[in-house]
Parts: sequence; structure tokens; C-alpha cells
Amino acid sequence: MERDVIISRRRFLGSLAAVGVVVACGQTAAPSPSASGSASAAPATAKPVSIEWWRRNYTPGSQNAETVASDAAVKGWKERNPNFTITIQGGPFGPETDQKFDIAILQQKAGPDVFHTTGGDVLKYAAAGQLSEPPLTDAERRDFNPSALQATTYKGKVVAYPLWIVPWFEYINLDLFKEAGVTPPKDGNWTYDEFFAAAKKLTIKRSNGKQAYGFAHANDEFAFMLIDGGRPYDKDVKTWTFNSADAVSGLEKWVALAQAKVMPPDFLTLNPNDAQARFLSGDIAILQRPSAMINVLNADKNWEFGKNWDIANFPRAKGDQTAWGGVGFIAVREQQDADKKAAAHQFAKYLTGPDIGPDLKKQTPPVEYWLAPAGRTSAAGIYGDYHPAKAKVAKMGAFTYVLPNVSTWSEIDQKYMRPARDAALEGKKTPKQALDEVTPAAQRLLDEANK
Amino acid sequence: MSAALRRHGWSYLFVLPTFSLFVVFTLLPVAQGLVLSLQDARVTGGSFIGLANFATLADDPVFRQALGNTVLYATVVVAAQVTLALVVASLIQPLGAKSRVFYRALFYLPLVNSAILVAIVWRWIFNPNPFGLANATLGVVGLGPFLWIGSSDQALLAVILSAVLTIPGGGVVLYSAAMGSLPRELYEAADLEGAGPFAKWRHITVPLLRPTTLYLVVVYTILAFQIFERVYIMTNGGGPNNATITIVQLIYSTAFQFGRYGLASAMAVVLFVMAMVVAIAQFRSLRTDVEY
Repeated sequence: MERDVIISRRRFLGSLAAVGVVVACGQTAAPSPSASGSASAAPATAKPVSIEWWRRNYTPGSQNAETVASDAAVKGWKERNPNFTITIQGGPFGPETDQKFDIAILQQKAGPDVFHTTGGDVLKYAAAGQLSEPPLTDAERRDFNPSALQATTYKGKVVAYPLWIVPWFEYINLDLFKEAGVTPPKDGNWTYDEFFAAAKKLTIKRSNGKQAYGFAHANDEFAFMLIDGGRPYDKDVKTWTFNSADAVSGLEKWVALAQAKVMPPDFLTLNPNDAQARFLSGDIAILQRPSAMINVLNADKNWEFGKNWDIANFPRAKGDQTAWGGVGFIAVREQQDADKKAAAHQFAKYLTGPDIGPDLKKQTPPVEYWLAPAGRTSAAGIYGDYHPAKAKVAKMGAFTYVLPNVSTWSEIDQKYMRPARDAALEGKKTPKQALDEVTPAAQRLLDEANK
Repeated sequence: MSAALRRHGWSYLFVLPTFSLFVVFTLLPVAQGLVLSLQDARVTGGSFIGLANFATLADDPVFRQALGNTVLYATVVVAAQVTLALVVASLIQPLGAKSRVFYRALFYLPLVNSAILVAIVWRWIFNPNPFGLANATLGVVGLGPFLWIGSSDQALLAVILSAVLTIPGGGVVLYSAAMGSLPRELYEAADLEGAGPFAKWRHITVPLLRPTTLYLVVVYTILAFQIFERVYIMTNGGGPNNATITIVQLIYSTAFQFGRYGLASAMAVVLFVMAMVVAIAQFRSLRTDVEY
């Protein structure tokens, strides 16, 4: 017996809702196991070879600094090595590109022959056996900044080439300093007390009616917790120490800035772009950002170095002069094709070495390759030649604290440290209470990274 | 082979392409998510760990906070949006045909906007600085300034308000269409008995719209459980002191920033179960035998 099915609107809507429930939760990306590879470089080859370079923020045809410098780098290399063909692939900074790297390198074991990478990724790829060990001579090893080299060491082996060290420092709006009657720090050096006093005086209602704030940061570093000598880990990177008395007093100094209301009211949600925009619009007198912003200011005709902006060191307190810093790396992917691997290492050495800066400076028009001070002593000089502000930044490498590579840092940072810091800055917890509460989870994640 | 299959068997061929896509892109990934939730899955691989991921979640204060925020957000926003859609559709209904079409389009059009752009606008509206629209407006009547997204006490409220204050165009259109097909005889009978407009709305319109209400409540609840882009854009992905962190935001961070795919999948499974339980409860409480 047959029965015609009549679907009422009620049933139809009900069915739609039921399907909605089924599709409500999708899966997250599925990883697959990967094998380890060996790590050694084949000798260099002069025969024609094509390699692929993956570079974050490379957008063909655009004028962003990464794109211009990357195209010029390939041109410079081709002039020295006409037999090489290098293709650049890009992607914006962010998780989408990170995932593209992960899928290619860890799952497909394909993709880039040479690529830019950052701290946590170096360890991740090294742990999966996907990085080819740089064939460095002793002289080359000595040429690299030791803390940068340490940051790329996995189980006693250097697994990538340190490219540059990126310090966070203070950009200062000289117009605002003048308007508030504050003297800029002499030679860019100031104590925390001087910095704090300046930030208070610089928090003013401007002559144009706009509210200006003495200081701002972009919520992507913990520099103030270093100011009295606090460090996230002990020397061996085995113990979490960001709840030490020095770290606590550093956070107290940060909290004092919040309590004095010298930061804009949205300081806890300011991201780098917003913070930069607020400085450019004249709302912020002192902004803590890394070196990439120098080019932004240089490109803006409203801003002239020495006239209405300058840079200063991170303030000094109980500890030695310091700065928060990160390191960029160039890595070579482990692969079977010995010619490609050797070519990739040669190119990686060029990208991190002393020749590329002068090569690009000779091009027409001249191109600034180094977006931050180089990780190699022999390559470091040229960065300071680009611009007087960069000459000041070039000196900061000596005291910049390079965050050691811990593969679980992003989880420690985002899931535990930032909320703890926020709670302290909002006055909901004392700095000691906030940092003590984080310690068990941070230590657990550090232990996990050290396994 | 049954007579029904003999008669309608060929029609399955037409359903097959869509059904195949549904299986490949929806059912299989959901099943794979379930499998991953039982593994210590990373980008480099994973091993079976049973229910350990769920035990980790039970002990994780950040996940508990995300769960609480998600439930609070969904409860307030769904109630507000369904009510708002019903009220707005009811106000449109007595208008002329052209006006009804105009208002339906007016309320629906904002839906074609990018959710990211909308979130950016709300970020500006609830900016704690004087240039934030909410503070600027409230300042005129002597209120504020409020910290909104800059404070762990107010950030979730700001995110909820941003959703509540957005007229749910889809709901308005659905309710409006449903109201248009309600049987006129009931209203005529009510008129004869002297019922006023509110009485007719309360005792005829609202009960007859229960199937639509059920659909909207279920769909809006699922959408609210999946809240992500608003939190990500308005409060940088969790707000001060994780005040606005939600389950999907935490899934995103856990999978794509911390590389813990197994744990993230376990969160997705919890979300799936939540959505299913709530949907079943809603089906049971709102189902009706009303046919018209």
C-alpha cells in the first residue's frame, strides 16, 4: 500500500531545524602523522635549480615592505647566481597562513624549500624532523647573535638561520612633548620614574580639544615584567619564573601606569594596527612598538624624524637596560632532492648574511632589505645606515631580551598570561596574586614543551 | 522491493548529488571531529586517549568561562532576537502590501553585509574613548563614559548589546511571511466576538506562529552558540581578562594557535551536544499540532 507524504510547513520548519542541529558543529582541521627526516645539507650545486621561497606578507605587485624586499632579494641573488630560479609564495600574517605552512610542511611534506618562520614554529617543524640543519662553519656560528642562535636550537642542534632581532621600544611624539612641556629623554635613555612622570604630564587635553594619552602599547609583549630583572624562564628554560619578586614588581610598575590613567581607556583591547593609528592621529605621546613602524612613519609626509617624532629606549628600572624582543628565522625544509636542499641553504645564507644588504642598496631604486636589525654581526651594520632612527634601533640588539623558543608559549601567553595581566591592570587581582595563579598552568605547559 | 521503492526509486538519483555533498562535507567531518576528540591530535599526528580531552575540559577554568559566556550570550540574544523579530513583523503586517515589501527588504538588507564589517562598526560604537558612538550619545544626556569593551565587567554586555540591538532581518521576513498565510477566518471570528488587536495578536497570531517560532529559536540558538566573529573583532578574541571568550573562539585558539586539534574537537563535541540537547528541549516545549 502506498501512502503519499504531505509535508506541512510545521514539519518542514522542524526538519530544517533538525538539520541545523546536525550541521551546528563541524570538525577542526584533521592532522595526519608525519615522519621524521634526516638533517644534513648536500654540497652546493652550480647546475640550474628551481626553489620555492615562502614569505609571510608577500603580495605580488604590492608595495609593502616584505614584498619589495623579497622581490629585490631574489633579483640580488639571481645576479650572483643566474642558474637559480626562485619562486616566492606569500600569505598574510595570521593563522590562515600559519595553517598553510603547517599543512604543507607537516602533513604533505612539500611546499617551500626555504621559508620565513617564527619561534614556536621552528620547534614544531624541528620536532617533526622537517627542518634541514644549516651547515654553519664555526666562524658563521660565532657571527650570529648568541641569544638568537639559542632561540633556534632544538635538542642541541641549530635548526634554522636567525634572520633578525626585533626589539620593542618607544616611539615618541615630539609635538605632544612640546605641547605638554616635557623634555624628551636625552639620547633616548630614561628611568622608569622619568618615563612615568613624562607619561603623566603628557596625558592632556590638546589644544585642538582632543584627549591625548601619555603611553600606549598593543598588548603583544610583557616588557614591563622584564624591567626589574624578571624573566619568564630560568636560564635552562626548565622553570617558569614570571612570578618572581622581580617580575611582580615589574607588573606593579605596569599597573601604576593603568592606575594613573596615562593609557587610553581601551588599552586592554588595543591591537597593533589600532595602536599605530592612534599614534599617527596624535592621540598617543609614547607608543611601545617594534621597528617595523619606522617605515610607516617615514612613508607619512606628516611625520618627520627628529622634528615631530623620535625613538627612545624602553625605560630602565632596577634591572639592566632591556627590551622585549622577538626573532625571525629563515628555515630550510628537509627533503630528498639534494640539489634543491643545497640551493635552499645557499639562498638562506644569503637572506641572513652580510651580502644581501649592500646588494639591495645598489639596486635602482635602492631597497632596504633589513626590516629589523640582523641576527648576524657581519650583517648588522647596514640597518643603521638606512635611517637615523634605525641607527638607534641597531644598538638595541645588545640588550634586547630574546624570548626563548618554547613551543607552548602562545598558549601560556594567550590563555593564561594575558588574562592574568589584565586582571592585575584592572585592579581585580594584585600582581602577585595574578602571577602566582598562572604559575602551575605555565609550568605544566613549559614541562610539556620540554618533553 | 516495495511498491514505494519501485515507484519512487528513480527519485533517489536526483537526491544523490546533494546527499553525497552533505555526507562528504558535513556528516563525515562531524564524524571525524568525534574521532579526533578522543585523540591527543596535533598537526604532527595523534594517539587515542579516550575521554582524557573531556576530563581536561572539565578541569579547565578558561573553558568553563567560555561555556558560561556562550550560554549567557545565547540565552539573552535568542530571547531578544525572537521577540524583536515577532514584534517588528507584527508591526509591519497591518501595512499595505507595498509598505510590507519595503520594510521586509529594509530589515533584511543589512544581512548581506559582511559580519566582519558589522563587528568593526560595533567595535567603534562601544569604544570606551569619547569618540565611541555609544559614549558620545550617552554623554549628551549626561551618562557615562562607560568602558564597554575596555572592561572585563562590561565587555560581554557590549557584545550582547551589539547582537540584541541588531534587528534580526531573517526572523522578521519569516514571521512576516508566516503571518501572511494565517487563516483569516479566525480573525473574522474574533472580530465578531469583539476581540481587540492585542487580544487577536496574543491569542491567535502568536500561537499559530509556534512552528515558525520553534524554527527561529532553534536556528538562532545554534547561531548564538557559534558566536565568533563579533567576539574576535570587537574584543580581540576574548576581551580583557577573557571576559568575552566563547566556546568557538576557544576552539579556534586551541586548534589553530595552540595546535591542539584533539582538545579543540572535544570542545566542538561539547558544543554539538549542547546544541542538540537545547534543540530537543525546544522541540518538546514548543511543538504543536496546530495545522492551518
